Amino acid sequence: MKKLFKIILALFIGFQVNQTFAQSDELVNVCALGIGNATYLKDYKFKIPASSVSPPSLKINVILNKGTMYKITVCNAEGYAGEAVVKLMDNATVLGSNMKADGSFLKAIGFQCERTGMYSINVSFKNGKDGAAVAILSYINM
Amino acid sequence: MRKNWYKIVFISIVGISLAQMSCTGDGSKKKLDDIEIPEDIFGDDKPLLISQEAMEDIIDNISSPVEMAALLKSTGVPFSQKLLASTDNIDDLNTNFKQALNLGILGCDLGYLNMYEKTGSVINNMTAIHSLANELRIGQFFDFSTIKRLATNNENLDSLMYISVSSFNNMDLYLRQSNRSNISSLIVTGMWIEGMYLATQVVKEKPKKDVIERIADQKLVLNDLILILKNYKGDSKFVDLVIEIEKIKREYDAVKITYEMGEPEAKEVDGMLIIVQNDKQYIDISDETLTSIINTIQDVRNKIINL
Repeated sequence: MKKLFKIILALFIGFQVNQTFAQSDELVNVCALGIGNATYLKDYKFKIPASSVSPPSLKINVILNKGTMYKITVCNAEGYAGEAVVKLMDNATVLGSNMKADGSFLKAIGFQCERTGMYSINVSFKNGKDGAAVAILSYINM
Repeated sequence: MRKNWYKIVFISIVGISLAQMSCTGDGSKKKLDDIEIPEDIFGDDKPLLISQEAMEDIIDNISSPVEMAALLKSTGVPFSQKLLASTDNIDDLNTNFKQALNLGILGCDLGYLNMYEKTGSVINNMTAIHSLANELRIGQFFDFSTIKRLATNNENLDSLMYISVSSFNNMDLYLRQSNRSNISSLIVTGMWIEGMYLATQVVKEKPKKDVIERIADQKLVLNDLILILKNYKGDSKFVDLVIEIEKIKREYDAVKITYEMGEPEAKEVDGMLIIVQNDKQYIDISDETLTSIINTIQDVRNKIINL
């Protein structure tokens, strides 16, 4: 019984993983087409439920290298009310965000890195609405 | 009691799975036959030295081989076929340990080939990658036919690069989600070693300042790399690998990195926020230290490909 349980659980996990890949990979592919004159490095997928209290956020740590111009492109998934607010952070310092002071959005963040180290990409959804998004990290060919 | 619990969970999972399958649209439906079940999906139940989350964070952050290849190309150093690992003895790699390390090495070489648009040589490299990925049961994430078509027709090199890199990212993600981070850590180690090998061999011939700095920068990554490998110290092969990587780390002890912090500047250009960092980074690495690093990386890399 225990063995059968493990096999079914494995099938279940496999099915879930395949489903998740199929849905979010489509958005990654679409988003990657919009990075322009840049070379794809990584993609990050985010999904956050709605919250009426303080907007929940997710943080991804990333090592960026000196002498490279990075680009973070953000794409929101259809069918969700939320628009992704992406901040590039250096420890506790916000280096920049894709959301302007007036609440409108920029299509990407570019970062000319001059110090190799750990930075973080912080993602939340505007006004705590539910949202799903993809962020593509690429570098700009100089 | 325990038996009943298994039954309840079993029935719940089957029920949820059936419900989900019945709700899936035809267009996106995948055959259940496509799903592979890794033998070690349940792991070895041994506690990790660091959390799974921390592990993933580290694996995610080992430098991309594409960035290293881009740096080499940007310095004007020409492509060198002789630097690449041979694909002749792929069939002799008879354990997942060797296969995963060499998959990482060949993955890095693929990035180097793509960067220099050497699409003719890509086919051999890809065939070997495909074979190793299949042995590791992650071949389904490597879109071999599309990559082969793009490489053969020398068309759309950006797409070739994107599909190559994202195939590796998806393999890595799947391995971690299916509790095979040990394989993932080996692939990443292979990639890192090969990236360092390419960079150090280039520097040996032409000591370019930017490349030397990038090599020195890797001091930041080394501790993390050792940390993830030590997670599997119950396996003697991992212990041996850590001993090799620690040889490299010892050579890095003499590398000094200092910083001068500045205020970043930001401006909006064509709908994009451009941030320019005004920090300064200073690297202190002597010629002797660099030579020692070059030689040690070469030794370790050659040991790995001749395992």
